[in-house]
Amino acid sequence: MSERADRRGADWGAAPEPGGIFTKMKERDGAGRMAFVLDGEALSVECAPDRALTAILRETLERTATKLGCGIGRCGACTVLLDGAAVNACLLMAWQVEGRAVTTVEGLAADPGWAPLFDALAEANAFQCGYCAPGIALALAGLFAADPEAGEDAILRALEGHLCRCTGYASILAGALLARDRLRARA
Amino acid sequence: MEVLAPRTLAEAAEMLAAPDTRAIAGGTALQATWAQGAPRPARLVRLDALGLGGLSVADGMLRIGATVTLAGIETSPAVAQAAPLLARAVLDVGAPGVRRLGTLGGQLGWGAGCLLPALLALGARVRTEEQSVPLADWLAAPGRLALGIELPAQDPGPWAWRKVGLRAAFTPAVIAVAGAGGRLAAGGGVVRPQRLHTAEAALAAGAPDADLAVSIEAELEAPDCAFRSAAYRRRVAARALLAGLRGIAPAAAAAAPTPRPPAGTAPAGLRPLVRDTGRPDWHPRADMPAKIAGRAGYLTDARAPGMLVGRILRAGRPHARIVELDTSAAETMDGVRAVVTARDVPGENAFGIMWQDQPALCGEVVRYEGDPVAAVAAVDAGTAEAALAAIRVVWQDLPVIDDPEAALEEGAPALHSKGNLAGEVRLDRGDMEAGWAAAVHVVEDTYVTPRQMHAFLETEGGWCAPTDQGVEVHVGGQHGARDREQLARILALPETAIRVVTSPIGGGFGGKDELTVQPALALLALKARAPVRLHLSRAESVLAGVKRNPMRIRMRTGCDAEGRLVAQEVAALADSGAYASLSPAVLETAMEHACGPYRVPNVASHGRLAYTNNGAGGAFRGFGANQMTFAIECQMDRLAARAGLDPAEIRRRNLRVPGTPGYLGHRVAGSERLAEMLEAAASDPLWQRAGAAGTGVGMALNLQGNGLGSLPRDEAAAALRLAPDGAVEVLCGLDEMGQGLVPALQASVAAHLGCDRGDVRPVSGDTGAAPDSGSTSASRGAFVAWQAAARCAPGFAAEVLARAAARTGMPAEALRIVPGGVGEAARNAPEPLLRFADLAGALPEADLPHAATRFAFPKTEYTRGNARFIHCFGATLARVEVDPVDGTVRVTDLTMHTAAGPVIDLAAYLGQIEGGLVQGLGLTLTEDVAMRGARVVTANLDTYMVPTIRDVPRRLRVTALEGLDRDDPWGPRGVGELGIGAVTAAVANAVAAATGFWPAVAPVRPGAMLETREAAE
Repeated sequence: MSERADRRGADWGAAPEPGGIFTKMKERDGAGRMAFVLDGEALSVECAPDRALTAILRETLERTATKLGCGIGRCGACTVLLDGAAVNACLLMAWQVEGRAVTTVEGLAADPGWAPLFDALAEANAFQCGYCAPGIALALAGLFAADPEAGEDAILRALEGHLCRCTGYASILAGALLARDRLRARA
Repeated sequence: MEVLAPRTLAEAAEMLAAPDTRAIAGGTALQATWAQGAPRPARLVRLDALGLGGLSVADGMLRIGATVTLAGIETSPAVAQAAPLLARAVLDVGAPGVRRLGTLGGQLGWGAGCLLPALLALGARVRTEEQSVPLADWLAAPGRLALGIELPAQDPGPWAWRKVGLRAAFTPAVIAVAGAGGRLAAGGGVVRPQRLHTAEAALAAGAPDADLAVSIEAELEAPDCAFRSAAYRRRVAARALLAGLRGIAPAAAAAAPTPRPPAGTAPAGLRPLVRDTGRPDWHPRADMPAKIAGRAGYLTDARAPGMLVGRILRAGRPHARIVELDTSAAETMDGVRAVVTARDVPGENAFGIMWQDQPALCGEVVRYEGDPVAAVAAVDAGTAEAALAAIRVVWQDLPVIDDPEAALEEGAPALHSKGNLAGEVRLDRGDMEAGWAAAVHVVEDTYVTPRQMHAFLETEGGWCAPTDQGVEVHVGGQHGARDREQLARILALPETAIRVVTSPIGGGFGGKDELTVQPALALLALKARAPVRLHLSRAESVLAGVKRNPMRIRMRTGCDAEGRLVAQEVAALADSGAYASLSPAVLETAMEHACGPYRVPNVASHGRLAYTNNGAGGAFRGFGANQMTFAIECQMDRLAARAGLDPAEIRRRNLRVPGTPGYLGHRVAGSERLAEMLEAAASDPLWQRAGAAGTGVGMALNLQGNGLGSLPRDEAAAALRLAPDGAVEVLCGLDEMGQGLVPALQASVAAHLGCDRGDVRPVSGDTGAAPDSGSTSASRGAFVAWQAAARCAPGFAAEVLARAAARTGMPAEALRIVPGGVGEAARNAPEPLLRFADLAGALPEADLPHAATRFAFPKTEYTRGNARFIHCFGATLARVEVDPVDGTVRVTDLTMHTAAGPVIDLAAYLGQIEGGLVQGLGLTLTEDVAMRGARVVTANLDTYMVPTIRDVPRRLRVTALEGLDRDDPWGPRGVGELGIGAVTAAVANAVAAATGFWPAVAPVRPGAMLETREAAE
C-alpha cells in the first residue's frame, strides 16, 4: 500500500559479513529495503528498520493470517517461525528479519507435512473464537519439529506465552496431544 | 532510526559513544521500555556480529557471551551442569518466544531482568573489553559495553531460586531471589538487583532462621508498586530464601480436616462431559479449520485497495472540558482523507443501550481517559497517527471522581446532568427486626470484586464503507440490529440505509455488546467517501473498552440455631464508570441474585450504581450474578462454620425448592435442579476426599437467568431456507463470537430436520442477510438457536417434501429428510433419493423451500422490576493449595456440575463451561484493571494478568444433568454465563477450608494469605 510508495530505497540491515562495511540507513523517516523469505517466497519490502514484522505482514503486505493481539509480545497471537523457531512477530523489528526465513500459518498450512497438526486441532475443537489459534499452531509446530516426543509438561511450557481467552486451555492441550500422536504416527 | 552494525568492538564503542544510541541484540527488553513510553533512540548498534555468542566452561568457569539468547542458556547442558541455579532461573524469564529473542546482554543492559539476582548469587563478573568487574559494580555504573559474563561453577551446596510474580507463568516479577555458595541476592521488576551482604554474614554465622529472616527483610530494598507492597516483597524474599537454602517449608497451619457426612448419591442421569474425539457425539466445528489456518475472515482482517486506515484521538485524561479543538493542521496533511469531530455528527451525538449518555465523539467534556474526541482516516496508519498528533486540544481539567462512594457524597461534582447516581435498586421483604431477633448466628463482610477486562484476543475494530443509500459497518458486535438502531440515531440515517455485519468475532464476553468504534468509523467512511478500517491497539482497547463493574457488596446474613436463614441485609455499590451502557442492568441482575439459590424470609437489599471517571463499565459474562454469588456463597460457608454444619447441609436446609417464586416474588419456569446440583457436589469424590494440610476444597452453587428479563424487549426472528446451491441455510441474526453459534445452529437444525449437520449453513451476524434474533448475550443463544430450528423445521420440511414428491413421483408421506437430502421414510438410514443440491437446482428460486419464525424470549409477567423467568443451575467445586512461601492460591482441581436442559453440542457446551470457569478463575486470582486517579495502570497484557495455560487446574471436570421437567418447553437453556457464576465463591470457600480465612476481596491478595498464615504460625 502507500507505505511502500514514494520512498527511496536504501540497503540496510543485511547481516554484516566479517570485514564488510556496516549497514546504515539514514532516510529522513528511516525507510529502507528489507529482503526476507516469507512462506518460501523471497520478498523485499520498503519500511523503517524498526518496523515490527506484524506491521509488515498485516499492513505493508496485507497478509492478515498472522493475528495481532497485544503488540508487545505478551499474548502469542502473532507467533511465526523465524528460521524454524517460534517467536513473537510483534517483537521482531525489520532489521532482525533481514535475510531470514519467516513461516506464518499460511506457510505452515500449505505444507502437507503439517496437515496432521491442523486436523488434530480441528478435530479436538481446540479453540473457540480462534484468534489465538494460528499462533498456537505455530508454537506447536516449532515444538514438535524440535521434539516429536514432547510430553504434556513440554507442551504446557511451549504454550505458556500464548493467551487464549475462550477455552480453559484443556481443549488446546487435548488437541496438542492428539496432534503429537498423529505426527508421530506418520513419521 | 538507524541500525548500525559494527565490525569490531572498537567500532561498536565509537558508535555507542554517540548521543541517543543504544546497543541492541534481541531487542525484547528495549522494546518493552518503548511500549512503556520510553522514546526510541535515533540509533541502534547491533551486537550480533561481534563474536559475542559463545558459551563455554573451562577451568571451572562458565562464560556466556552477551548475545547468547536466554533460550541458548536454557538449553545448554554446560549451564545445567555448571550452574543449575541459572538453568532453573532462566525458565522464569519471559516465555519461550521471548527467550528465543532476548539475550543475556539484554538482561544486563536493561538492568532489571529477572536473571540478575541469579547471576549475582552465582558471583558473576561482567567482561568488558578492558577488564572483568563484579556484576554488582557493573550494574551500578554500566559504562562499558558488556561482552558477556563469567562465573565460577556453582557451589555444590543447597541453592535457592524463586521468582514470585502475578501469575504462574510469563509474569512480571514481584520479587526474585537467589542464593548459592553463601551469596544471597534479590531483584526483579521494580526491585533493584542487589546482593544482601548483611544477611550473607548472618547466614555464614549460622544465624537462627528467625534472625536470618529478619536480617533479609531489614536489608532488602524493595518499593511498593500498584500490585504488591514493599512489605510483601521483603517477607516473601525472606521466606523463599529460607525455604530454598534451609529446606524450611513453613509448617502448614494444621487445620483439622473437616469430617464430611457420609456421601449421598449423585442424581441419576448426571453425565460426565468427556472430550473424546472418537465418540459419535463429538463434532468438530465447521469453522475450526479456517480459524486455525488464519483464514477465518475476522472483520479486522479485511484489506482492499483504496481502503483507508482510521485512528481515534482519545482524551488521555479522566475528566476535562474541551476549550478548543483545532484539527486544521491534521486536515491539510498529505494523505489525510477525513478528520471528524463532534461537529461532524449529523444526528444525536449520544449512544447507550439503556439510555444515551455517551457521546459518539466528545465535543464539550470528556469523562474518562478513553473518551473519543476526534478521528482521522488516512492512506496508511503512519499518516493517520501523525495526523492525530497534529490535532491540537486545549483542555481545562475538571475535578476527578475516582471512587464510587465519593461520587455519591453530598456536593460531589456531577458527571452528568442528572447527578452521579446512575441506578438504584431496593428490595425489602419480611420483617427485618423479627428476622434479626431470630438470628442465632450472624456473619457479615464486605465483598469486593474487580474491574475485570474482557481481554478478547481480537481487540475492537473492523471496517466501514459508504454505500449508495448510506453505510455498511463491519465491526465485531453482539447485536447487529441494535447497533444499526444506535448508528441510525447518530448518523441521522434511516435504519434501512445501514447494514451492520458483526461477526465472526475474536471473542466478546459482553465487551462488544455496546457500540465500540462503530460511530467514529462510520463518520470517517461517510466523510471520506471511502472504506476505512480500524483495529484498536491493545493499549487503546484497554483505555477505551468497557469493563466489568467493580462492586463492593456488604452482606450481613443470619441463621437460627439449626442453620435456617432468617435475615439478610445487602448493600451493594457498583462503579458504572463514566457512562451507563448496560451497568444499570448489571446492578439489577446482581440484586436479583442477592439471596442466591436460597429462601430467606426477611431481606433488606439496596444496590447503587455510581458514575465515576474510572473508565467505562458495562456488560461482562455473569452480568453481576457472579459478583453477588461470591458474597452469598461465602456467607453460607461462614454460617455453616458458626452453626457447626457441613457446608452441604446448611445449603440443603435453605435451598429453594421447585415452585418457590423468584427473588422478586415472580413466577419462574420449572426444571429447577438445585437440589440435584447440591447432591452432585456433595457426593463428588473431590468433595469427599479429605484434604492434606495447606489444601482445601470449596463448594458453591449458582443459578443464572437466561434472557434479558421481564422489562426489555426480548424477541428473536429466524428462518430456514434451501439455498440455490442446496445448502440448508439457517438465517439467524446472532453472532459467532467463539461460543459455538455455528455448531448450535447446525446441531439444532439437523436434530429437527433429520439432515446432517454438514447440510446446514448458518447465515448470521449480518443485518443484510439474517433477521434480528436479538442480542448475543444473556445466555440467550442456545434457546434461540433451538427454538429457531424447532419452529421453522415443520414448515420447511413440509415444503421440501412436497417439492421432492413432485420431483420423485412418490407421495410426500413416503418421504423424509435424511442426511444429504430426501429419502424414503420407510427405510432405516436411507441414502437420499434426491440430494438437496439436486432439489434446489431443479427449482426456480421463488419455489425454494422457506420457513420463518418470530418469537418472544420466555418471560415472567412480573414488571415492577426486571426479573428472569428461565434459569440454569450449577455447583462448582474447587480444590486449592495455598503456597506456604508466597501466599499464592493455586487451584489444582475445578469441577462443575451443570443443569441446563439437553446439551445441543457437547464440545460447545463443555467449552463454554470450561472457558467460563477459567475466566472466573482470572477474576478470582489475578485479574484487575488497576487505576490510580482514574487513570489505567495496567496498560496492556504485560500487567493485566489473564490466566495462562500454566495457571489453570490440571484437572478440570464438567458434568451435565440434561433432563427437563415433563412438559417444560423452555429448553435447552444457555450456559454461556453459568460457568463463571460460582467459581470465585468456590475458590474462596476452598481457601477458607485450607486456612480458616475467607478472602473477601477478589482477586485474592497473596499478601493477605501470607499474613493469615503467619498469624497461624
